[in-house]
Amino acid sequence: MKNKKPKGKSVSYAKWGYIFIIPFFVVYVLFTLYPQFLTVYNSFFENYRDGLTQVGPRFVGLDNYKALLTPTSSGSIDIIKYFGNTIVMWIMGSVPQFVFALLLAVFFTNTRLNIKGQRIMKTVIYMPNLIMASAFSMLFYTLFSNVGPIKPLLMQMGIIDKTFDFFFITISVRSLVALLNFLMWFGNTTILLMAGIQSIDESLFESARIDGASSTRVFFNITMPLLKPIFVYTLITSMIGGLQMFDVPSVLTNAKGTPDRTVMTVIMYLNNYLGGSNNYGMAGAISVLLFIVTGILSVIVFKTIDRDKG
Amino acid sequence: MRMKKLMSGVLAATMVLSMALTGCGGNEESSGGKSTNAKKEEGKVFHIMAFNEEFKGFFESYFAKKHDDGNYYVGDAKVVWTIVPNEGGAYQDALDRALLNQEDAAADEKVDMFLAEADYIAKYVKSDATTDVQKMGVTDFSNAYKYTVEAASDDNGVVKGTSFQCCPAGLIYRRSIAKDVLGTDDPDEVQSKLDSWDKFDDVAEKCKKKGYYMTASDGETYRTFSNNKESAWVDEDNNLVIDSAIQSWMDQAETYAKNEYTILGDVWGEEKEQQMLDTGKTMCFFGPAWYYNFCMGNAMDTCKGDWGLCQGPQSFFWGGTWLLAATGTDNEKAVADTMNAFLNDEKICSKLVEKNQQFVNNQKVNEKFASDPDYGNEFLGGQNDTALFVELAKDIKFQNTSKYDQLCNEGIQQYYREYLKGEVTKEQALDNFRKYIKEKYPNVNVE
Amino acid sequence: MNKKNKMASIQLALTRVLVYAIILFLCFLCLFFFVMLIVNASRTNNQLQRGFTLIPGGHFFYNMKNAFADASIQIPSGMMNSFIVAASSALLTTYFSALTAYGLYVYDFKLKKLAYTFIIAVMMIPTQVSAVGFVQLVYKYGMNNKLWVLIVPSIAAPAVFYYMHQYLKATLPLDIVEASRIDGASEFGTFNRIVLPIMKPAMAVQMIFSFVAAWNNYFLPALLLTKAGKKTVPIMIAQLRSADYSKFDMGKVYMFILLAILPVIVVYMFLSKSIIKGVTSGSVKG
Repeated sequence: MKNKKPKGKSVSYAKWGYIFIIPFFVVYVLFTLYPQFLTVYNSFFENYRDGLTQVGPRFVGLDNYKALLTPTSSGSIDIIKYFGNTIVMWIMGSVPQFVFALLLAVFFTNTRLNIKGQRIMKTVIYMPNLIMASAFSMLFYTLFSNVGPIKPLLMQMGIIDKTFDFFFITISVRSLVALLNFLMWFGNTTILLMAGIQSIDESLFESARIDGASSTRVFFNITMPLLKPIFVYTLITSMIGGLQMFDVPSVLTNAKGTPDRTVMTVIMYLNNYLGGSNNYGMAGAISVLLFIVTGILSVIVFKTIDRDKG
Repeated sequence: MRMKKLMSGVLAATMVLSMALTGCGGNEESSGGKSTNAKKEEGKVFHIMAFNEEFKGFFESYFAKKHDDGNYYVGDAKVVWTIVPNEGGAYQDALDRALLNQEDAAADEKVDMFLAEADYIAKYVKSDATTDVQKMGVTDFSNAYKYTVEAASDDNGVVKGTSFQCCPAGLIYRRSIAKDVLGTDDPDEVQSKLDSWDKFDDVAEKCKKKGYYMTASDGETYRTFSNNKESAWVDEDNNLVIDSAIQSWMDQAETYAKNEYTILGDVWGEEKEQQMLDTGKTMCFFGPAWYYNFCMGNAMDTCKGDWGLCQGPQSFFWGGTWLLAATGTDNEKAVADTMNAFLNDEKICSKLVEKNQQFVNNQKVNEKFASDPDYGNEFLGGQNDTALFVELAKDIKFQNTSKYDQLCNEGIQQYYREYLKGEVTKEQALDNFRKYIKEKYPNVNVE
Repeated sequence: MNKKNKMASIQLALTRVLVYAIILFLCFLCLFFFVMLIVNASRTNNQLQRGFTLIPGGHFFYNMKNAFADASIQIPSGMMNSFIVAASSALLTTYFSALTAYGLYVYDFKLKKLAYTFIIAVMMIPTQVSAVGFVQLVYKYGMNNKLWVLIVPSIAAPAVFYYMHQYLKATLPLDIVEASRIDGASEFGTFNRIVLPIMKPAMAVQMIFSFVAAWNNYFLPALLLTKAGKKTVPIMIAQLRSADYSKFDMGKVYMFILLAILPVIVVYMFLSKSIIKGVTSGSVKG
């Protein structure tokens, strides 16, 4: 392209390139990059509000990180526990999410099955993705709370007894979080994976069928290997999204992460410090740790995109 | 389209006109009023911060004037409310931010008066964020209960606000259940069967046998214990202290949970709410006068009159809302007038008792109702609760408070409930509570 | 051979039944909770406390009236605020992302490669990571409770940029730009009059997604909007969970939830086809 244009002309347009991208970069620097720098900077300071008194800012070196990474009296490190909670709940939601999405994607694209009503089905399964997460969670809370309609239904069926409380049992709260995340995301994943399968050369499936390969074999020997880049990409973006999990567990547990803080996610923990007492020091340190973890994952994504291209 | 524009123009003009007119009327009134405050220009907006709608309701019914624009006014000043719910310290945070920003805030944004509860009043009274109300013209505390004045005074005895209620609390029982379990619903007889925790436990067992609950929340009796603490939640060296009174509550809650004497749920929770319907199966609730109105709405609607009040096993008080004057207010007269009205205006105080079942911060008015043989609270089946509260009010001691009390009180109940529900060990529950406090207050030593 | 065929067709029929069962079950799951929501939003508190039925209660508009009139959860102002933030963000984010993408696609300049790589590199950084500094700045300069603080940052949206860039690469022949220049159009004129119309489908898709994302956003607004009249819908919904509202009329609570999600659902009903198409074109192309 460059060769086609006279050299002088291309230089004269260069300034327009800068002009066009300047708003983006100015805003990015002011509203994202500089705050990011401030976040890191804050992590080395003691800086919070104790009621009507401002404490700090006072340089404390790595004290905030030490506080985060020091084991508590019970021997566990809180921040690790919250990373763990986040990942466990992400896995609980994303395993069914990917399994069902993969199944549905295969069903929908399978010409022999020839599923009718695909459009409406896709419309239905994608819908939860657009629902306000906080509203969806609040709905779940009202439905599953002790005075909500689900409990009496399950009691009638004899599945649970009177004392059962969805919001005081680790596994049940985590399951509700996972169920919400599953519902919100499996439709999205289905559509992404479908597009991936559709981009596979149809003749490959044809020839496999002529060779008499079973559906399962076609799936494992053709679909999966060719789908892998997209699958991995979707999986890792989902994981990065999962690390940011906040709205659902926060609304479900009223920001407490109960019971026993087993539903507390990293962002909820961050929010604990940031909201209210404006503890910029500790919140900064948590953000930096989150940044590092996400950074590692981003590199992986970057690599997969690159490989996808090549 | 043009018609619409014309119409809206006319409407706007009338509104401006009417506002100007009412404004003028107001001016005359105030300049003809007290001369002591005339030198200062009063602000146009009377900004009040609160944590719920309770006081706003009384204020609008009995004190502020509603103008044609639909807004309420005190003198010339339009009343603007900022209401932020208490839970999790959200109100305190919002209030702190507003007060710290008070100097830079525009005149209409400045906080003029704010409401504070017993759990955190100390924090504001003992700071520069509140100001002397005696200088504004709130001087007559002769009818106020002493503890309400003490709670609103700083270490030098400067009074920074007033309370519009006094909050001795008692045991509110459901008469029909009391009859069934105790064979009587007479307040004195019920009291004689419930005047110690041992008796209370016995009755709880009887309740259970008859298929009732003694209380509808594990935190129901919390305040009866926490109010009788011997030390503050956070001591002078910033150490978190779990007082023996709190330990006693924890022991009781454990027993009650184990024996299923109580429903395991929040003291403000939905399950407890349901227990106040006519279908409720719970005998005892603990609270002061504001409790009927504020917490027992379901009962008011469905089973009015099926309630009685007695002292219960241990005297205590619960809550109470103070009106505090914010430093930097430009509506001193409005602030002072409001405080005086809800403290010393006998008409208003009487209405609060008669229509809202409040126990007001005016001894004269309370005693008038207490000794009035014709007065009875319909909600309590005609019982004269004011008479009992007058007695109980004598026991109130406002002591061992700290500015950390709200979250400590909330937190201990929430985290301990996880133990009661069997999800964590007691040690884990307390550990989680300490973590919660540490996150909220990094300078408090929790170990 | 015949037998084998028959076997195969029976097997296919069975598979089909199973497959439909799975799909329909998932569709049921997706719809079930919303049906419950709509039914419950039409029942009074009293009816709700008597247990669940699938029969609507006939008090839908009664609850709606109550919800709109509520003094502490001011849902009309919340919806207005949410709409202002979501609509402005959607407009800004699509226009400036397209502009930036165009700038980096059409022009050649020294920092082009660097700028592109930079945007791609920061694409995956979660917004929460800059939240601490952002919140600090906002409070420092007294910009809390100002809606524009949530709107302006949407000018710089790396992911939307990336999408636009991909779209330009696939659809915009540089000859068109060249031709426009020969016609004497200015650079901005070319972008606004020639390029934007070509990008319309991409803009529409991104506008919808940005709108929905901003409408649903909870984390940052909750930290910055504390005044009753400035709150957006998700903040109000989360407030319902707080114990202070447990005394609420449940019919009203369901109505609040319904009102929070309704605008998006209505838009989705009309545009589901292009939205679903947008999902794939947005994220997969490498």
